[in-house]
Amino acid sequence: MTDVAALDNRPVANSYLATALDDHDDAHGGHRTSLGLSNMKLAMWLFLGSECLLFGALISTYLLSKARFVTEVVAGNPLVTSTMPAELIQEFAESQSVEPMYDIPFTSASSFILLMSSLTMVLAHKATVEDNGQNKIWLSATALLGSIFIAGQVYEFTAFYREGLTYTGNLFGSAFYTLTGFHGAHVTGGILMLLSLVYMAFRGKLRSDRAETVELVGLYWHFVDIVWVLIFTIVYLIP
Amino acid sequence: MAADTQLHADTSTDTHVGHGHDDHGVHPTERQYWLVFVALFVLTGLEVAWSYLGLEGVALWLPLLVMMTVKFLLVAGAFMHLYFDLKILNGRLFAWAFGGSLVVAMSVYVVVFFAFDMFA
Repeated sequence: MTDVAALDNRPVANSYLATALDDHDDAHGGHRTSLGLSNMKLAMWLFLGSECLLFGALISTYLLSKARFVTEVVAGNPLVTSTMPAELIQEFAESQSVEPMYDIPFTSASSFILLMSSLTMVLAHKATVEDNGQNKIWLSATALLGSIFIAGQVYEFTAFYREGLTYTGNLFGSAFYTLTGFHGAHVTGGILMLLSLVYMAFRGKLRSDRAETVELVGLYWHFVDIVWVLIFTIVYLIP
Repeated sequence: MAADTQLHADTSTDTHVGHGHDDHGVHPTERQYWLVFVALFVLTGLEVAWSYLGLEGVALWLPLLVMMTVKFLLVAGAFMHLYFDLKILNGRLFAWAFGGSLVVAMSVYVVVFFAFDMFA
């Protein structure tokens, strides 16, 4: 019976196997792992796991601030008397919130743009794997769509600020700007990564052997897209 | 001989999935990517339309949360290749660790909500 220890004593076979594996791994820019997933990809997933906790905390804080918004607005406000019906108090609190300011069609268009950028991102990865020279187009398109999304967010923040919703005005404003601002910062970080890839692509340094790099940036980009899917529904669509 | 075959099978598996590329036909095709995008587009449209129906309470937020979850799973499963990577990861340990961590994290947030009397 042949065991693994015996195989280790076959220098020719092992040498051939090791060379073959090294060649294969070098060609794909990765190496063997016991999990069957490259270390870089595993590290990215762990990072995204920690990001889930970060955004989970921010969304939870937003929801808590929203739940306490009525109490916060009503407390000590001379316009609200103790004899006022609960419906009127609720109506007054809602009039003080950001929700009447929401421009749902505008935000929907932003969401659509971010979803479209996820499509161009996977197409960029596919083009890199196939080495067909189209990755620079798709990567540029992704960066452009991300920039349009950020421009929309800047416009929205400006509009809210002019309406009177400031970062330090109340708990709701702080939670809203922190949540959406953190997301915007992540998108901006993603755009910078994409621009680096575009630069590499135009210099001919982003071939199929670097496909995993594109995939890793893609994972990050899709993650910020997913976070926006949650924010869009929880913050904008559910009053 | 059996061990010999096993050795080759193991190293082959490690190597072929180790680099995480989709050159082995385990990731979606371009057509499937477009179909996922269309599904996301339609779901977003439905979400917005639903929010304009003037519904309140569970009738409003439950369908919205369901559609949001479907969108979440579509992006994570297809675009992030999570569905395919989890299939590649034969070891159940990683899948359980991933799923288990998710459950623990969600539980923590639920506990926080209760601790702050959000449902009171």
